[in-house]
Amino acid sequence: MMNGYLDFLREPAPILVLGLGNTLLSDDGVGPALLDQLSSSAQRWEGQVEFMDGGTQGLALLGRLSGRKALIIVDAVKTGAPPGTVHRMTLGELRGANPGRRGSAHEGNAGELLAAAQLVDELPDRLFVVGVEPKKIATGYGLSAPVKRALPEASKEVNQLLTQLC
Amino acid sequence: MTTRVVVDPVTRIEGHLRIEAMLNDSGHVGDAMSSGTMWRGLEVILQGRDPRDAWAFCERICGVCTTVHALASVRSVENALGIKVPKNAEIIRNIMFLTQMVQDHVIHFYHLHALDWVDIVSALKADPVATAALAQKVSPSAEKASPGYFRDIATTLKKYVDSGQLGLFDNAYWGHPAYKLPPEANLMAVAHYLEALKWQKEIIKIHTVFGGKNPHPNYLVGGMASAINLQGDSAINIERLNMVKDLITQAKQIVDTLYIPDLLAVASFYREWTQIGGGLGNYLAYGDIPQHGISDVASFKFPRGAILNKNLAEVLPVDPADAGQVQEEITHSWYEYSGGKTALHPWDGETSPKYTGPKPPYTQLDENAKYTWLKTPRWKGNAMEVGPLARVLIGFASGHSDFKEVVAAALGALKIPAAALFSTLGRTAARSLETQLAVQWLKDEFDNLIANLKAGDSTTADTSKWEPSTWPAEAKGYGFTEAPRGALCHWIHIKDTKIANYQIVVPSTWNASPKDAKGQHGAYESALLGTPMADPKRPLEILRTIHSFDPCLACASHVIGKDGRKLSEFLIRV
Repeated sequence: MMNGYLDFLREPAPILVLGLGNTLLSDDGVGPALLDQLSSSAQRWEGQVEFMDGGTQGLALLGRLSGRKALIIVDAVKTGAPPGTVHRMTLGELRGANPGRRGSAHEGNAGELLAAAQLVDELPDRLFVVGVEPKKIATGYGLSAPVKRALPEASKEVNQLLTQLC
Repeated sequence: MTTRVVVDPVTRIEGHLRIEAMLNDSGHVGDAMSSGTMWRGLEVILQGRDPRDAWAFCERICGVCTTVHALASVRSVENALGIKVPKNAEIIRNIMFLTQMVQDHVIHFYHLHALDWVDIVSALKADPVATAALAQKVSPSAEKASPGYFRDIATTLKKYVDSGQLGLFDNAYWGHPAYKLPPEANLMAVAHYLEALKWQKEIIKIHTVFGGKNPHPNYLVGGMASAINLQGDSAINIERLNMVKDLITQAKQIVDTLYIPDLLAVASFYREWTQIGGGLGNYLAYGDIPQHGISDVASFKFPRGAILNKNLAEVLPVDPADAGQVQEEITHSWYEYSGGKTALHPWDGETSPKYTGPKPPYTQLDENAKYTWLKTPRWKGNAMEVGPLARVLIGFASGHSDFKEVVAAALGALKIPAAALFSTLGRTAARSLETQLAVQWLKDEFDNLIANLKAGDSTTADTSKWEPSTWPAEAKGYGFTEAPRGALCHWIHIKDTKIANYQIVVPSTWNASPKDAKGQHGAYESALLGTPMADPKRPLEILRTIHSFDPCLACASHVIGKDGRKLSEFLIRV
């Protein structure tokens, strides 16, 4: 029952898989959904990997990046490709996704989090994004069919990355 | 000719807050519209669910304010079922709440609002020695204020800017004539921006200790899920509580030696903003930080009440359960009510979207038609402002000595009268003043917790009404809190152990609401009227006032786009 109380006092696992997105906005919740799939096989990484549901927390997640060797963000990625397309991006490719000036203190997003990590020099050395092209970003609980169908492939991508990194 | 300035999104991502401001011939805002361009309607997701689970859904409404929605939600269920939480749970909730408020306000100031006043690019021209002298003058007790420290900060900033993008600082209006700080003040602010960034990741650990996990800490109908055993290893013990104590000390230092002095220093360069952005002059707060149970409103550290027409001589009583007080209208909102009703108390609230606006993307909205996805909450028919300024004015007008002290000190330091509070700068200052109180109360609540634990009480939850079999067939309740950006209330209707209706009126719905049936503007709209604009193509002045409210319509999606820059474009239509 007490699992988790001391998580942040321990040495962080070298690899963080961070699920981002809002589960109340349909396909925006693909990050957390993917995380659910991945964490079922979490024990095979033997303490090397931590899986975290970051929701839409943005900057508040900064402290959780400290001391990591690698970061894999799983999230919805919108590029105009057909819904359900699985994207894999590196840090270099992410640079295009500039966070820009925030309009609200309440806009957690990956770009901003990474820009802040860079500013305080805590960006993990290796950074990947595995994302799924959303179909519907609107009020609703649960994923659309094409996005749901993409979960195994996206999950496989993450597991492949983890195999390389561990 | 009328110039129409459109700022969309004010919040970064597609489909949130959009402002259309109509400029008159003298270059001032003559009329303004505030529009929420995305339907949320969480209420629909909650219908039919177990009321005990509602908090976990509500926690996801907002990207950052997880705890306040969870708190309002469990309180609504407890109110409906007549559950009284144990003393420890009340204190722990207060600690969670105050931690959120302190963290959120500091972040708002440095990471959002400061960029409306501080020119980051100008900071590169600052002399580190002169900056150190300035910093020591502004805050003699600040820990880091040497020329070497500021030289390092300038190097970090230069490296960041030279890396080819401004990153976090991109897309502001650098070099805008409305920026007035000298380069040294700008560099000092950048340094403190970095300090705040590093600090905020520490303070939030308090939520992890008491909420069991973070992000998304655990709440519980009937109390808190935090198990406490001072001598144990597996629950919250003395070691973890000592860590909380250190984090609170650190937070107090950040607020007292950085936030407050910086706010006063920046404000002293922008005194004209005490004449701009006042708006409605009507203020509402439900209050929070109970000392003797949630039903003892008189014990709240943040008092409850309403002020109309800037009349600080009278604080009017507020009752969220009174069907004649809080009502939501839809005259200019994309909704319909059954039977042609025009205003509903949230217990009778309906969430039936009906979009009648133009097909997106559109160039302008029609102020005479429906123009927003936000409903139109009113208190006894009045448009109200909620948030830090409302709380500070209501605390001040209620005669609470702690409010009177911090307000008097700030007015004295800036040499401005109390009437200056009714403004954009007043709103921004009020946020810092309540942070000063909140961090002190955080310490007090922590001491209360330790005293209560040492007296032998370690109960954190009352589960006697956990089982639905103990509930009445039907019950109604409301749960309120003072979220960082203002009065928040959830209204619940439980029927046959399930949620029959759930209505949430969030602070930004009060502040960003459209005009009502009587044509009264919402708080944002009203605050923009009369604002002078130096350069309509770069509407910095609009952002200053809107950001002073700390808008939160986003609460939402943060999809990564291939070209994020495009999403953050401000569209200006002249």
